Amino acid sequence: MDEVARILREDAANIDASVSPELERRVRASLENVSPMPQQRPRPRRPSLTLWWASSLTGIAVAAIVIVAIRPDSATVDTPPQVAAIEPLVVPDLKTETAMLTAPLERELENLEADLRKAEQAVRRDFGLEP
Amino acid sequence: MSDELQLIDKAKAGSVTAFTELVRRYQDRLLRFLLTRSASYADAEDALQDTFINAFRYIDSYDPRWRFSTWIYRIALRNAARLHTPATVELDDIADDSNDPLTECIVASDRENLWLSARRLLSDELYTAMWLRYAEDMSIRDVASVLDRSTSWTKVNLMRGRRALDAELNRSAARESEAYG
Repeated sequence: MDEVARILREDAANIDASVSPELERRVRASLENVSPMPQQRPRPRRPSLTLWWASSLTGIAVAAIVIVAIRPDSATVDTPPQVAAIEPLVVPDLKTETAMLTAPLERELENLEADLRKAEQAVRRDFGLEP
Repeated sequence: MSDELQLIDKAKAGSVTAFTELVRRYQDRLLRFLLTRSASYADAEDALQDTFINAFRYIDSYDPRWRFSTWIYRIALRNAARLHTPATVELDDIADDSNDPLTECIVASDRENLWLSARRLLSDELYTAMWLRYAEDMSIRDVASVLDRSTSWTKVNLMRGRRALDAELNRSAARESEAYG
């Protein structure tokens, strides 16, 4: 591969071409009639004044509309909200029901206490604490 | 290089003498480059003249961050592309033309100049890349800049070009050994 690069360099050097004095004079004469053109440099862009005014006015208008729309009205604030009158609920007498619902539990408790007493007496007898 | 920048600054200020010095430095290299892409010597000379006129006219747009050679070769390449009009022949057809200006300028040798093979085998763009790299000794970055291609594209295609020419050299050697027994 390097051999290719070497041959290419050698062969390029074997291309014999040079500008004739006639062409040199021609180019020189052409250049005398040309002058460099100043480059069109992009000017720094300033925001348009009209656009600035338009956006400012739009912003103010929108702000004013929003303030008017959501501004709390003082009269409505002072007035308490209307609440419908609530009728008193009729509370049923739950005492009977409660007694009825807890009665089985009380009986159970009495049975357990009786069992406990019987067991205590049996233990006392076994240890000779009770005649 | 700093001397070149001084000349460029003077040319930007409108000095024809300073720009003529730049022309003197690049004219032979650019003519050789344009000859390989032209149908006739006269076409190459016209393209060279246009290149220098355009370069002087637009010298103010030259950015010193880039090499001057890269910038002027880009202009030359554009002018060379304008030669490829229906009135002229395409680069691929030039190789067979007996009036090929490149053939006329090649010093006689016992083998075919590899640039003629390159022009026959490679695409226009790849041929230009090979020329800029191996005839003008430009860096890969500068070649990529002239062609407006990426560095990776340039590297890969230069390798392909070398490979194609290497195969051509091997074929030529095989033909010669067959001919001489």
